[in-house]
Amino acid sequence: MKQAAVSAAVVLAMIAFGVGAYNTVGSLRGGTTAVQRPTSSLVAVPGTIYVAQGGALYRLRDGSFKQITPDDGWTQPAGSPDGKQVVAVKQTVNSGDLFLLEGDGRVVAQLTHNDARRAERNHWAFYPRFSADGATIFYSYDPKDPFNSYRVDLAIFSRPADPASHGETDWTLPNQYTGGDTNPMPTKGALVFTRFSIDEHSVMHSQVWLQGRPGSPGVALTAAADDCAQAAVSPDAKRLAMVCRHGELRSMRLVVVPLDLVSASIGPPAAVVSGGLVASPAFSPDGQTLAYLAPASPGGPFQLWTVTLSPATGPASPRQVTQNLSLDSSSPPAWVAS
Amino acid sequence: MEGRKLYLPRASVLVAGFVIAGLLGLTAYFFPIFQVAATSAVSSGSLPDALPGPTQPFTVLLLGSDDDAKFVPDRFNSQSMILVRLDPSAKRATMLSIPRDLWVPIPGHGTGKISTAFQLGGPALAMKAVETNFRVRIDDYVWIGLKGLVNLIDRLGGVDVVVTNPVMDDFYPADVNTNDPYGYNRVAVLPGAVHLDGIHALQYVRSRHGDLRGDFARSERQQQLLLAIKDAHLNAADLPFLASAFSGEIKTSIGLDRVRQLLALAGELGGSGITREVLMPPYTSETTIGGQDVVLPSWRLILPLVHKTFP
Repeated sequence: MKQAAVSAAVVLAMIAFGVGAYNTVGSLRGGTTAVQRPTSSLVAVPGTIYVAQGGALYRLRDGSFKQITPDDGWTQPAGSPDGKQVVAVKQTVNSGDLFLLEGDGRVVAQLTHNDARRAERNHWAFYPRFSADGATIFYSYDPKDPFNSYRVDLAIFSRPADPASHGETDWTLPNQYTGGDTNPMPTKGALVFTRFSIDEHSVMHSQVWLQGRPGSPGVALTAAADDCAQAAVSPDAKRLAMVCRHGELRSMRLVVVPLDLVSASIGPPAAVVSGGLVASPAFSPDGQTLAYLAPASPGGPFQLWTVTLSPATGPASPRQVTQNLSLDSSSPPAWVAS
Repeated sequence: MEGRKLYLPRASVLVAGFVIAGLLGLTAYFFPIFQVAATSAVSSGSLPDALPGPTQPFTVLLLGSDDDAKFVPDRFNSQSMILVRLDPSAKRATMLSIPRDLWVPIPGHGTGKISTAFQLGGPALAMKAVETNFRVRIDDYVWIGLKGLVNLIDRLGGVDVVVTNPVMDDFYPADVNTNDPYGYNRVAVLPGAVHLDGIHALQYVRSRHGDLRGDFARSERQQQLLLAIKDAHLNAADLPFLASAFSGEIKTSIGLDRVRQLLALAGELGGSGITREVLMPPYTSETTIGGQDVVLPSWRLILPLVHKTFP
């Protein structure tokens, strides 16, 4: 009996060894770097930055990350002007809703209720942003087209930040069947956002637009051929950072331009990052630094980077803040002072 | 003590056992390489012409199908059809997406959508339909199913793509890893540079309802994903890893030599060496025939375009 048990154990050990050999070779050949949960940063950044990864929100402060929500569809956090609260999206398979959170992730209130039993009756809410006074939240939302059930185009809406108040305002009229308007950035009474269009050669373009009030025509700040998107406005509303790809699909530029809200125009671009992929820029609270997301190596997952903007010397070299993470690049970093 | 010794096999037997177990593990891992090599030897004999040399251009037809439980096994349409010309010496590649609804003569089966050729006669008829209509010679084909694509992307650790606009779809088929292949859900792939896992990459290349350009936009996204996979810098030593990723969700006539050529070339191709073509208007026009939405070819425009690259 004992002999049989020992023999069985030896055979099992041999099988385990064989499986181990298979797995070891497989892992060596796989060549992919294991993605980790955010814990610490490579360099310290001032203030607090909120990011999203794998359906959870993380807070980076003093060089350490803290997970502030469970892995449950959370993305796109944006800080309130006083830095005390966060508005974020909680996404399910078929819908997305806006939630107001404390800085530590505690849910204060659910601001929208977009879920429905039938899939096509659900709604999305994306890209929430506080207005400068903190009283209003702007976001992208998909109003239904009663005549075209296949049409799903996001438009920019606003609603009171106070959970007890209601009343949504529709700001924009997107181009049909383009996916709609995204990345609202309220600034000094105006709205900056990204709009998509299809040209006569069936090529899709993105442009950064400026609009003064709900329903007004607005004006394109960038040319269609530049394919600019994901604009961020500096806290003093004098500069605008955006990602432009100029028709390319493997190479992009992160540029900063002077912004004149009065004349609704921008100045010449200064490239901050060129080549490769780059996404979702965000200004620091003092407006002197940009945070953005980009892969550390071609084809890899997105990491957090910062680059200091100096009017005198131009942009400094980018600094990689994280490694081995897979940050949600559709979720701009939310950078607050406190 | 003495008794315990009696139960243990001799040291040499133990060592031999572990060595054999390790070798079996390694053999299991590298078996696909031997398998592809064997297939290569058989396939090359069955081709009408000798295989081109390692530096000669060759043409591959890439086919993708919805192979979920809604369909009878091996009776799928080809939802995606991309003709790829690779020129190793010039380090050039051309991708030509063929609309799935292209209304063409299908050899032996009258006239129909080109996507039905795969269903009617498998890869051989799909290749023949493309060869006769586009007047090109195809050297090989690769077919991939839904889960195969998902597994491949996941095994690569995801891929980076630039999403040009929000890809929104309220009626996306929820037919992968489900008990209800007729269900649907909503999809929102947000714009910008993103790192997609397998399921989201599949959504990106499969969704078509929310874009004015419909299937043409989808074809562009499929080409974009191919480029992203190319950027994963695979090499021939990755074959076992690829084979396990596909887990039977791939069919191909490509032999090991050509796979090596493909992978080596993929690493050398730069952006300027890649040409992408989608047969949008004026090359094609949309209409309805017999209640079916179809795409009519303008051969007067298509053939000169094709013959610039494809012999």
